[in-house]
Amino acid sequence: MKQTVPMPALSDTMATGRLVRWLKQPGDPVKRGDVLAEVETDKAVLEVESFADGFLAGPLAPIDTDIPVRQTIAYLVDSAEEVVAPSASEEETEPKAPAVEPAVERARPAKHPATPSTTAPRAATSPSNTPRTLTDPNRRPASPYARTLAADLGIDLADVVPGAGGMIHAAEVLATALQPRSPDLHFGPPYQIEPLSPMHRAVADNMTATQGTPTFRVTARIPLDALQATSKETNTSLTLLLARACALTVKQFPRFNACHTPSGLAIRDRVDVGIAVDFEAGLLTPVLRDAADRPLEELAEDWRILRGKVRSRRVVPEDYQGATFYVSNLGTFSIVHSFEAIVPLGAAAILAIGADDRTATTFTLSCDHRVVFGADAARFLEALAGRLRNPGSWLG
Amino acid sequence: MATEDITYWQALNRALDAELAEDDSVFILGEDVGLYGGSYRVTEGLYAKYGSWRVRDTPISEASFTGLGVGAAMTGMRPVVEIMTINFALLALDPLVNMAAKIPFMSGGQFPMPLVVRMPGGVAKQLGAQHSQRLEHTLMNVPGLRIAVPATPQDAYWQLRQAIASDDPIILLEHDLLYFSKGLLDVEAVPLPMHRAAVRRAGRDVTLVGYSRSVELCLRAARQLADVGIEAEVIDLRSLSPIDWETCITSVEKTHRFIVVEEDCRFAGAGAEVAATLSERCFFSLDAPAKRVAALDIPTPFNGSLESASIPTVEDVISQAQQLCSVADPGVKP
Repeated sequence: MKQTVPMPALSDTMATGRLVRWLKQPGDPVKRGDVLAEVETDKAVLEVESFADGFLAGPLAPIDTDIPVRQTIAYLVDSAEEVVAPSASEEETEPKAPAVEPAVERARPAKHPATPSTTAPRAATSPSNTPRTLTDPNRRPASPYARTLAADLGIDLADVVPGAGGMIHAAEVLATALQPRSPDLHFGPPYQIEPLSPMHRAVADNMTATQGTPTFRVTARIPLDALQATSKETNTSLTLLLARACALTVKQFPRFNACHTPSGLAIRDRVDVGIAVDFEAGLLTPVLRDAADRPLEELAEDWRILRGKVRSRRVVPEDYQGATFYVSNLGTFSIVHSFEAIVPLGAAAILAIGADDRTATTFTLSCDHRVVFGADAARFLEALAGRLRNPGSWLG
Repeated sequence: MATEDITYWQALNRALDAELAEDDSVFILGEDVGLYGGSYRVTEGLYAKYGSWRVRDTPISEASFTGLGVGAAMTGMRPVVEIMTINFALLALDPLVNMAAKIPFMSGGQFPMPLVVRMPGGVAKQLGAQHSQRLEHTLMNVPGLRIAVPATPQDAYWQLRQAIASDDPIILLEHDLLYFSKGLLDVEAVPLPMHRAAVRRAGRDVTLVGYSRSVELCLRAARQLADVGIEAEVIDLRSLSPIDWETCITSVEKTHRFIVVEEDCRFAGAGAEVAATLSERCFFSLDAPAKRVAALDIPTPFNGSLESASIPTVEDVISQAQQLCSVADPGVKP
């Protein structure tokens, strides 16, 4: 039996994935759970595991190409024989099956005796077998309605990311139309387009999604020497201590744990702190779950694991989604005195921390004004300052 | 007492009774329509009420009594011919196709053809291949014949009355499994025009086009699809010749996707006609290819399980609609 291996959907927002590399080749025996390939999603590089025992069969989807989720990227078959001779009828049911090139067929080694024409064999691995529609945006199939809409809205189909099955439907055209206008580069210097990495695109999309948030900022200067001393004494990460202090303060002012939704405020009963982490490939926000109520040692262990995952780019959506409050620390850059952070969707506020200038550190709290007000922010910062000045009172 | 809950056969019976009472030129003929009251009870009680002159039992002779109906219609009578099942209508194709459909045309309109031929069809419960036929494709391909396919008691009542009042030859296709289904009948409601399609459920995501019993499949599928966020619009064609394209087009231009659901075989059937015409006329509005949910292209098996596997189910409609709307479960998780 032949089963399809689809591009996995690793999060609700993931529309496409990009294959980084194949770890198995057609003909390789695979066990359930074996890693077949690595996929770069909007946040991380993840492994695609085999869901059954069998043999990997091609055609394999190409690497470094955006592939819609659920589109077939390879096949699993029961026996080695099937690897090179997929039956014709099954091929037909696959919308993305590329045409068989006679030349390719001739080039096959003649080790298989003549097969009936109904099971015409075809090469399984050759990269030239990759569907043209994946690589050539101008030839992407689009529904008549999608084409009509694109023409009416003045949208180039080449700019549209296809949906299910590699097809462009009206929904994808509308999504493109609703994106911010692209700048007109005609009269500037020559340029070339470098496609955004999926992670970079996710950050861009998330930030664009927040542009409707009515935001205000409140800044406070708080000395951090006491906390720094505690960090050294207890050999605990300063970031972790800051996150803990924020979590306790959020718990004290539960409004900061809410978020605005069209149907009302979503009040959460646990404080999950997202911490912006800068690494060579971009920006991630691993989340410390229940940061107010769990023991500090447990959080420290979580934080160690999360940082390891970020460094090896092995975070999964559970690791970086769903924070209720965010912390962004640029204090490691001594030149940064203060800055403003953007409130991510799903949170009421984000705390931006600048560099220590020997007298104090500048904290800027960006808030969603639909959820909290200026005085709330002032009270929050006051309480936070109290904690940071006197770590002994809450560390235990 | 405007509305009441009655069965489909009772609605047809009520319509015949009303027409027989109102117009002396109306009469019924067919096998077992008199003393026996019709094999699905449709003519029950009419023989006693109107007598053997107006509710006439005939021998087993479909070609002859249908031909008699054609002749009677030519002389100004308004015959209602009952063919016991659609399978026997094959014997009456000559009077239907060569005579009833063509005489008004060939006589330059000098002979109107106020003939109604009623016949049950469809897959019932294990009646075998010869008694489980859907012949709408055969009749649809005859210019001059009109075909009504009522799906509810309300439509059965009004479409039969409208057919009898019409001067065109009209076939009323009834479904074996609909006779004992119940629904509301309001004899005082203003009836829809005979050939107007009806929107049975409004929706925005996909149009389900059905007729006769498949309308019920579509409605059940639509209710379940609503649970997964797909709002299906359900159209009951009500008439297969002519087809009310305007209603279909309006819907498809709103939803941009459609599925035709029919119990007849897929090949060259009513669904093929609907899919082809709507693809032609709504091409630039379509966000996905037309889909057809139809019976397998085989004679209907007698075996109960095979029989039900040979015709469309609610699940078939749901899975096709989900595919069209691209929200199908990816199935395999990494």
